[in-house]
Amino acid sequence: MVTAAHGGIRLAAVNMPAALRGLEPGLTLAAARAVIPDLETTPTEPEHDAKALQVLSDWCSCYTPWTAPEALAEPAVGAGVWLDVTGCAHLFGGEDSLLDHLLGRMRRQGFMAQAAIADTPGAAWGMARYGRAASCENSAEAGWGIVSPGEHRQVLKALPVAALRPPREACEGLDRLGLRRAGDLYDLPRGPLAARFGDGLLQRLDQALGRVAEPVSPRERTRAHRVRLAFPEAIGHLDDVAAGLARLLERLEQRLADERLGLRRAEFTLYRVDGAVSRATVGTSRPVRDPGHLQRLFAERLDGLDLGFGVEVMTIAAPVVEAMTSTQLDLDEVGGQSSTAARREARLGPLVDRLETRLGRGSVLRLEARASHVPERAGIAASALDGRPLAVDAAPALDEAPPKLRPRPLRLFARPRSVEAVAEVPDGPPVLFRWRRVVHRVVHAEGPERIASEWWRDEALPGEDRSHLTRDYYRIEDTEGRRFWLFREGLYDVPPSPQTEASEPIRAPRWFLHGVFA
Amino acid sequence: MTTDPLYVELETTSNFSFLRGASHPEELVTRAGELGHQAAVIADRNSLAGVVRGHVAAKRADIPYHVGCRLVPDDGPEILCFPTDRAAYGRLSQLLTLGNRRAPKGECWFGLDDIFGPVFGAGRDQVLIVIPSEPADENFADTLAAIRRRVHASARVHLAASHLYRGDDAARIAHLADLAEAAGTPLVATNDVHAHDPLRRSLQDVLICIREHCTVADAGYRLHANAERHLKSPAEMARLFADYPDAVALSAELAALCTFSLSELAYEYPGETVSPGETPQSELAKLTWAGAEDRYPDGVPEKVRKLVEHELKLVGELGFAPYFLTVHDIVCFARARGILCQGRGSAANSAVCFCLGITAVDPDRIDVLFERFISAERGEPPDIDVDFEHERREEVIQYIYQKYGRERAALTATVISYRTRSAVREVSKALGLSEDIGAALAGLAWGWSKEGLNDDQVRAAGLDPSEPRLRQALALAMEIKGFPRHLSQHVGGFVMTEGPLSSVVPIANAAMEDRTVIEWDKDDIDALGILKVDVLALGMLSCIRRAFDLIERHHGRALTLASVPAEDPRVYDMLCDGDSVGVFQVESRAQMSMLPRLKPRCFYDLVIEVAIVRPGPIQGDMVHPYLRRRNGEETVDYPSAELEAVLGKTMGVPLFQEQAMKIAVVGAGFTPTEADNLRRAMATFRKTGKIYGFREKFIDGMTARGYDEDFATRCFKQIEGFGDYGFPESHAASFALLVYVSAWLKCHYPTAFAAAIVNSQPMGFYAPAQLVRDARDHGAIVRSVDVNHSNWDCTLEPCSQGRVALRLGLRQIKGLREADVERLVAARQRGYRDMRELWRRSGLSPKVLERLAKADACGSLGLNRRDALWAVRGLSDTVLPLFAAAEERDALLTLQNEPETVLPLAGIGEQVIDDYTSLRLSLKAHPMKLLRPRFRAARVITARTLETIKTDTLVRVAGLVLCRQRPGTASGVIFATLEDETGVVNVIVWPKVFERFRTIVLRSRLLSITGVVQREGRVIHVIARRLEDMSDRLVELARDDALAADELPLLANSATVNGPSLANQSNFPSRDFH
Repeated sequence: MVTAAHGGIRLAAVNMPAALRGLEPGLTLAAARAVIPDLETTPTEPEHDAKALQVLSDWCSCYTPWTAPEALAEPAVGAGVWLDVTGCAHLFGGEDSLLDHLLGRMRRQGFMAQAAIADTPGAAWGMARYGRAASCENSAEAGWGIVSPGEHRQVLKALPVAALRPPREACEGLDRLGLRRAGDLYDLPRGPLAARFGDGLLQRLDQALGRVAEPVSPRERTRAHRVRLAFPEAIGHLDDVAAGLARLLERLEQRLADERLGLRRAEFTLYRVDGAVSRATVGTSRPVRDPGHLQRLFAERLDGLDLGFGVEVMTIAAPVVEAMTSTQLDLDEVGGQSSTAARREARLGPLVDRLETRLGRGSVLRLEARASHVPERAGIAASALDGRPLAVDAAPALDEAPPKLRPRPLRLFARPRSVEAVAEVPDGPPVLFRWRRVVHRVVHAEGPERIASEWWRDEALPGEDRSHLTRDYYRIEDTEGRRFWLFREGLYDVPPSPQTEASEPIRAPRWFLHGVFA
Repeated sequence: MTTDPLYVELETTSNFSFLRGASHPEELVTRAGELGHQAAVIADRNSLAGVVRGHVAAKRADIPYHVGCRLVPDDGPEILCFPTDRAAYGRLSQLLTLGNRRAPKGECWFGLDDIFGPVFGAGRDQVLIVIPSEPADENFADTLAAIRRRVHASARVHLAASHLYRGDDAARIAHLADLAEAAGTPLVATNDVHAHDPLRRSLQDVLICIREHCTVADAGYRLHANAERHLKSPAEMARLFADYPDAVALSAELAALCTFSLSELAYEYPGETVSPGETPQSELAKLTWAGAEDRYPDGVPEKVRKLVEHELKLVGELGFAPYFLTVHDIVCFARARGILCQGRGSAANSAVCFCLGITAVDPDRIDVLFERFISAERGEPPDIDVDFEHERREEVIQYIYQKYGRERAALTATVISYRTRSAVREVSKALGLSEDIGAALAGLAWGWSKEGLNDDQVRAAGLDPSEPRLRQALALAMEIKGFPRHLSQHVGGFVMTEGPLSSVVPIANAAMEDRTVIEWDKDDIDALGILKVDVLALGMLSCIRRAFDLIERHHGRALTLASVPAEDPRVYDMLCDGDSVGVFQVESRAQMSMLPRLKPRCFYDLVIEVAIVRPGPIQGDMVHPYLRRRNGEETVDYPSAELEAVLGKTMGVPLFQEQAMKIAVVGAGFTPTEADNLRRAMATFRKTGKIYGFREKFIDGMTARGYDEDFATRCFKQIEGFGDYGFPESHAASFALLVYVSAWLKCHYPTAFAAAIVNSQPMGFYAPAQLVRDARDHGAIVRSVDVNHSNWDCTLEPCSQGRVALRLGLRQIKGLREADVERLVAARQRGYRDMRELWRRSGLSPKVLERLAKADACGSLGLNRRDALWAVRGLSDTVLPLFAAAEERDALLTLQNEPETVLPLAGIGEQVIDDYTSLRLSLKAHPMKLLRPRFRAARVITARTLETIKTDTLVRVAGLVLCRQRPGTASGVIFATLEDETGVVNVIVWPKVFERFRTIVLRSRLLSITGVVQREGRVIHVIARRLEDMSDRLVELARDDALAADELPLLANSATVNGPSLANQSNFPSRDFH
């Protein structure tokens, strides 16, 4: 595992084979590659790690309701989960079997885990991490993980100072002074110790020894964004359902507003008397919580709902939410400051949502300008809902205003149409051209605008198709005033560069019609 | 009669407009010639850095050439500028200097007002071509009119028009024509050229991406839409501008107006070195004879007198007197300031230079042949490099700036170009290859040949060579390799002129403060015949000066480079033993093993010693023949009588660069000019790879004259080896003097020499640990760092029986700053008694005191390392001065009240490791000594025992890794040096073994090696078969409480010990090749 750190890429974690060959976290990738040239690496994902730990912590709640994850502070110490098993152990047949059970199940899930039970969280923490090594030294193999009541002071004594969870800086400082075992600190005068290493160290010592309390605080569960409405009697009219929906949406709005959130998707669920469930889902292009807007969206869907013999309970949930500041838009409008674009966007949003709801997902598209010289790549269709482009390999987004381009035709053909044209060699505009068996005589022409292929794209590799060829575009007007956008594909090799072989066959350029102006 | 229209491309951007132009100036100039342009032009952005290269290429291609520049003012359109004569060129150069000096390095700031201002003479006698802004600016017409109005009457102002292929060229150019008409600035056709060939388009795109820090896929509109920005033929330009034939013809007319050529930049020496009423020559003669009287107080020897007369005559004929005077002036300044210096280079070891004090090599002692260094025929200026003490060179540099002024003196530039590695890295980034692939490709950089990588090499890196993007990346990297990236300063090449230098070449700020640099590099200056003096830095000179100072202070003996007693047999005895740690030039492992074989007995032997262990003689396989002949194992004969004259001094074996060149002339029939070209080709061999034409000529030439083909091949190989590391006899002689002086110091004053060399770190081959250890081996008494006894530098202290002891300086402590040490020493008075007093009086922060404590430097306070750290930690870090007094009282109370704390004692292992951590050495014990009981059990023998072992015996040795080297001359063999408590062990690791133990070889700090003993003379090597990483033992050592403090003899005042530390790799630094 690698992570971008100060001074380049560094190793964040190594697996067994790598560790055996001398790699350790903190090494730069370059240095690691000097050792193992074909080292495989993958970037760290701290968010995913944190999430996984969260999940694990939640899973542990099958042993006790009081669980809390402890995030990874240092690779050497490892991440952990706190379990307050006070009063729970007997359910598993005692502390021994609880520990066995827990560790056994974790091992089967693929975790490398160590655990300990002690009177104080601090002692358990230290034992879980350092207890095993210490007990091996004392050849007291079995049962090292459980510290008998009242024994923790004695047991901790032999453990390294780090087992007390001291502040990192203190740990290094103590080491320098030769104070390496927790027991070395027991008898030192507290005043000078605190003066040198801060109160944090003493607090950790006291916590481990049970001189001060340290509760395990379970993590707060995130509130689901869901509201529920139960009816004393089943309702069967769509109007009633709509009325119920309106009340639900108001309550949901309140809840989302409290958290400054807006929803991107809403699920409306009806629990029917016959035990069946009906659902309707809507999505939005921007975070919203306005009940009126959501009501209109659901209105498109209510007709299709099967109410059966009546509905007892209905819920509405927002599985996808995003941050939304409600006030900004209002203030802007009051002050008349908001740009027209922002306002248009604000008005367009509901329309897009409704069209999308009525026509089906992915059916509303919008055009987006992209940064590419190649005309067909300069504009792409993207989903109006989430802005995802339809094309897989789209040109980069524009991060500033596009340069002033020459006029582009109102209608650009998806595929350029092949035409026959007569033009002056090498880069004169067409004099006449034939398209769909109609001959157009050119009266006015402007050009060429020369656009070369994007050589770095796979399609641009020289091959059978000619997309690697440079194009010369012309705007032209025919005798009847119609305007076209034509291009010549490929250049006449003029002037021959001294490097190209004179004998190389010159492929005759071909002509295409790429679009029409009004 | 040609029907081709006349045309000159005036808007030509080369790759000296960094990351903009996509062709070298040479390519542009050559192509312009091929296409039939009337002349070639280089006009880079606010820079003249590329013009000399264009000038040289144009001479070769035999095409007229014009210097130009694209001026980019902050507040107006870009303007091409072409000076029509020398004066106008000077003003252009001064305008750029003005802009450069205002801006940080790499930028040039000026505005239209500067262009209209006096420096630039408002464009007097310049051809100015305004480039219309794009997209068109509404006010452009006004701007153009203003420029037309405000420039000098003699300036020609024009408007550039190019076909941009954006679809509107016809209309746009018509509009420009109207503008031009209205403003009275006739239209001139250009093509805004960025490359000599349309095929450079992809390279151009990559350059843009490097500049913009993006990938091609993300670059969007930042890329050019097409490949039209290349040189086009006059016919094509005429076709494009068919409606404006005048605009095309005008380009050639304008070019013809520019009569200025870079050849006009005649060089003039600064005049202030000549006293009034003297000519340079008479001044030089006067100074030389005066110097001779000083050098030879008992009368100038006849040989020297003749030499001086002869040399002065030659210098006079060639007119180089001012050059010698300039160097003499600099050397005089250094001498007045007590800065040690020594000249070297082709002309340095002349009798004249000796008399002038430029060098200390007595012409009486070696055979100097002046013509060899300075030849009338070559017409080449003499070359004198002067080395100064590395710490005081800046004073000399500032003196030169001060004496001649920023306007007349500046450092030469060095063009930093893309090397294979950086080219691959940047190109893969621009192409959006993953960092992994980029790193893997860059990692292959070693294996690149001129043709790039072959498929097998790519496959070996785990990549697919048929992957098109990879191929693209490799091809582009090959192309971009050698592109200039930025200008940097040359190590010390100074250019000084009589007139303002800024009117010869633009001067710019360097990255370093107080340095100014010209835009041209060494080759450019050579091409134009401008003289430079190299002001270089040499660590050994600092060391020798310090040693002289110490000896004068503590032994009452004043010495100079020239007054060190010559030809002392004890010094040669020491060198013959290979006892040369710290001695200049001959301390490397290769040199150390050469010394006992060469057995130097006189000064000239040292000259040979310095020159022989070099790539040239080694590659030419000249070393062994020479040694055999010297030892009388082979008769000395000469390939021919004519070569006897050349090779007489070196027993018929060519060792010096001049000899190889002479062979080319005498043996292979080269003209002196050809031989010189050959030498130049060698110097740039690695860069350009063009040498093979000479090879055949050389070998054919020699065989045709009846020489052995094998001998010819070897001679040529040797010439190749001289390429980058040429060592002419004159350099070797200058260096040999420093070898002798440093060896003399080491031999007679080992303690002072050790102090001096440690104080001059970083320099040389060995770390302080080895230098101190070597000094102790030679009987020096070394004392540890101490807050009450040490200064920043190592010092000498008197000790029993009139001897002196070396007191280690606090500079040895990792992370300590000199300024802090100065405060500590200044406030010391009669000494500090305890930590609190140290803190109060010195005012040093607890952080600094902690470093002192960690270094175990508080022995005189009665504190061992752990106690001292405990005491430091008890100091409060945040005391406001106002409360200091009150706090002092309280602190006293708390201190009195603070219960005594007893800390555990540290084991000796831990002490040693901690010493290494903080000081990178330990006086207490060598880690290997502590580990020896365990290693003895594993049958690991010591370095000393190794000396008694027979050849071909299998042994096991172990030690700290001092260095790992992979010399380019040894095809993949790794030389490692291990150190244990008895000495060093030389290890050879063959490539096959290296591949097997790669990790261990590269990463171990403590290494155990099983291998076979091999001897060559007195030198013992162990050929490694198996290697084992023992670094963990160091960690164990720090933790091992079993090693009680009293188990080993300790030095005084380190009775008790301390803290653990991380025995990580950085505590045992080794000097490695990677």
